Amino acid sequence: MRALALALLAFPLLAQHGRYLSDSNNPAIGDPKAIAAGTKLFMGSCAGCHGPDGGGGARGPNLVRRSLWHPLSDDAIFQVIRKGVPGTDMPPTKLEDDQTWNLVAFIHSLTGPASTNPVPGNAAAGKEVFWGAKAGCANCHSILGKGGSLAPDLSNVGGSRPLAVIRESILEPAKDLSYLGNEAAVVELKNGKTITGVAKNRSNYSLQIVDAKGRLHLLQMAEVKKLTISETTSMPTDFAKRLTRDELRDLLAYLAAQDIRLETAKGSK
Amino acid sequence: MKRALLSLLLAATAFAQVRNEDIVKGPGADWLTYAGTYSGWRYSPLNQITAANAKNVVPKWVYHVPGARGLRSSPIVYQGVLYITNTNSVYAIDARSGRMVWQYADPRAKEGGVNRGAAIWADKIYFTTSDNYLVALDRFTGSLIFNRKFADVEKGTTSTSAPVIAKGKVIVGSAGGDGGMRGFIMALSADNGDELWKTYTVPAKGEKGSETWGDLIEWGGGAAWLSGTYDAELNTLYWTTGNPWPDYNGSVRQGDNLYTCALLALDLDTGKMKWHFQFTPHDTHDWDAQSWPVLIDTQIMGKPRKVVLHANRNGFFYALDRVTGEFLRATQLIDKLTWAKGIDDKGRPIMLPNSEPTPTGNWVCPSVKGATNWMGQSYNPGTGLLYVLTLEQCGMYFRSSQNPEPMKHFSGGGATEEGGQVVLRALDPKTGKRVWEYPMTGAGRMWTGTVSTAGGVIFSGDDDGHFVALDAKNGKNLWHFNVGEGLTASPVVYSVDGKQYVAIASASAVFSFGLFEPAVPFEPPVIQMKK
Repeated sequence: MRALALALLAFPLLAQHGRYLSDSNNPAIGDPKAIAAGTKLFMGSCAGCHGPDGGGGARGPNLVRRSLWHPLSDDAIFQVIRKGVPGTDMPPTKLEDDQTWNLVAFIHSLTGPASTNPVPGNAAAGKEVFWGAKAGCANCHSILGKGGSLAPDLSNVGGSRPLAVIRESILEPAKDLSYLGNEAAVVELKNGKTITGVAKNRSNYSLQIVDAKGRLHLLQMAEVKKLTISETTSMPTDFAKRLTRDELRDLLAYLAAQDIRLETAKGSK
Repeated sequence: MKRALLSLLLAATAFAQVRNEDIVKGPGADWLTYAGTYSGWRYSPLNQITAANAKNVVPKWVYHVPGARGLRSSPIVYQGVLYITNTNSVYAIDARSGRMVWQYADPRAKEGGVNRGAAIWADKIYFTTSDNYLVALDRFTGSLIFNRKFADVEKGTTSTSAPVIAKGKVIVGSAGGDGGMRGFIMALSADNGDELWKTYTVPAKGEKGSETWGDLIEWGGGAAWLSGTYDAELNTLYWTTGNPWPDYNGSVRQGDNLYTCALLALDLDTGKMKWHFQFTPHDTHDWDAQSWPVLIDTQIMGKPRKVVLHANRNGFFYALDRVTGEFLRATQLIDKLTWAKGIDDKGRPIMLPNSEPTPTGNWVCPSVKGATNWMGQSYNPGTGLLYVLTLEQCGMYFRSSQNPEPMKHFSGGGATEEGGQVVLRALDPKTGKRVWEYPMTGAGRMWTGTVSTAGGVIFSGDDDGHFVALDAKNGKNLWHFNVGEGLTASPVVYSVDGKQYVAIASASAVFSFGLFEPAVPFEPPVIQMKK
């Protein structure tokens, strides 16, 4: 069974405060030139503490992961760059407005929803990868009602997750994940039946499990004889080898385009 | 034996899909549409909890909805899962244990505001975002099936009501009438969200009915912000409309302002208006007609009739023939009523002087909240009574001379609400008269709906945060439970494993209640963690 995958993608929404990072209409956001200019500024002034990919360092937090549990609006990032964070090592700056926005655009490209940033690759080719047998993503994941039901729905993955997080979830699915709410489970009932699936929730008293056919079983622990829970992900961990560089890039482009808030004529992409 | 049979039956129907006939049949173990039945009864045939044993009701579980502050949502329950909405989000909860199964949230929706509930059809759960997207989700996993925009928030329209689904058509409405917009009711395909029809509640310039307006007709309001009811036999939807805009300044919209503050009878297949009845022509008190069009067949004035009952915010309780729209009768719903001395034989109010909003204000009863409002009412076929929460309250109504500007939160004036008492009233649909009443203590807030059962019990909320059980025959209090915060939603009744529950959303949580049972110790399972 290839139960869960991208569990990381399912959970941070729980703690999400307010809107995601797409509040600003500033033209710098998503503009490749502004992002390139912002990259230079970031490498010169910010990367020393926050790391060149925003992944954090000894003195500065991981900007990408922080955005998952407490995303800041573009305007709020602008203000943090301007004013710093009093009482920490984050100093105020004296950049001009347009330079500051370039920097915000670069940080947005690291931490904002993938769909709001320029992404390399061919989404149409990535669609073939997603739905094809080689990658097998759709065995477990669904998009707009098609695909499997054992792993998180990806209909809005590009509209809710930074590209870096999507990439990491594919290449290193077993890294640093919390599976609670997506645990691969095998349940043996006292009546002799066995259910294999994903535990959406469980306590000492009840268990809610979705099986491979996508059906939900609501159980009382009094009915359960034995419960086997996987401590790791059922998502394959070999995508770095299984897919070519181009296939991976295109797959990322396809996933980045999955955004339920992009206006589409027919509601499907 | 009975229980064994029941669980066998449950096993046989496991993983069924919700069909039209299931909703037409009305609630049993499940609660499949906003008001329980298409006819708007909020009545359950379950009879495990009775007037005799309601004293043994206890809370079974509580689910705190993340971030919720004033839930208005009435749950849907199907096969042991309870679905509740908050603004731009849905939660699926194990209806027996209160444990969350899945959640769906769209934090990028452009508006906030309340949400009144979800709908179910086949294997999908439906709700609308505040910025007018119809969202369909897999009922088992919460995975998105489709997300379709049906109206522009930029034109002043938002969405708050629970969809009603009949014959594969998802009926949605429109909110925002206090800021200027053009109200409508729409049918969307349950399969893919495609628009099937759209009926405006205010005519376009030059259309029939436009002569009852002035220049502001394009922003005339008439929002349809509450779900309506449906007669499957007549294939007719009964939907109410809100106030004309600007709310308190009628001088800029001389005439009746059709079809605001009205009840519309629409053909389900085409959306075509079969008839309309306007309760408050040329409203200047924000008395939207949003309360329940309850469909019953009964004797009225000596004749058996297909009737639609309507307790209106303007203070009168109406009975209409629901086939023809003919006005049959109106009686006074509340005691404090100063704006009209009655309703004439055509159904028009007989106005009293000094009731209009003025620059210095006029003192009018009922208040702007109205004699009743959108909360669920319950019709109980066992007692033959309709249970309606009412408010005895008055207030000052002011008119502003400012030029009306749409979409600027400008309503042409304002109103105050002073004091007031909430009274739950049992009305006899045959006569329109009160049979009994249950006065409540509280601040005159009035937002809890009612549900009633074949066990002869009414469940509702006190005006001060108590969930209560009353005897449906005489209004006697049987039981109460303090939820510790305001109740602004309507309760539902369901059963799992043959055990009856009653659930209601408080301001921030969902509570589910049932009869007391001692805990049964059990042998815990072997739990193995596998690397």
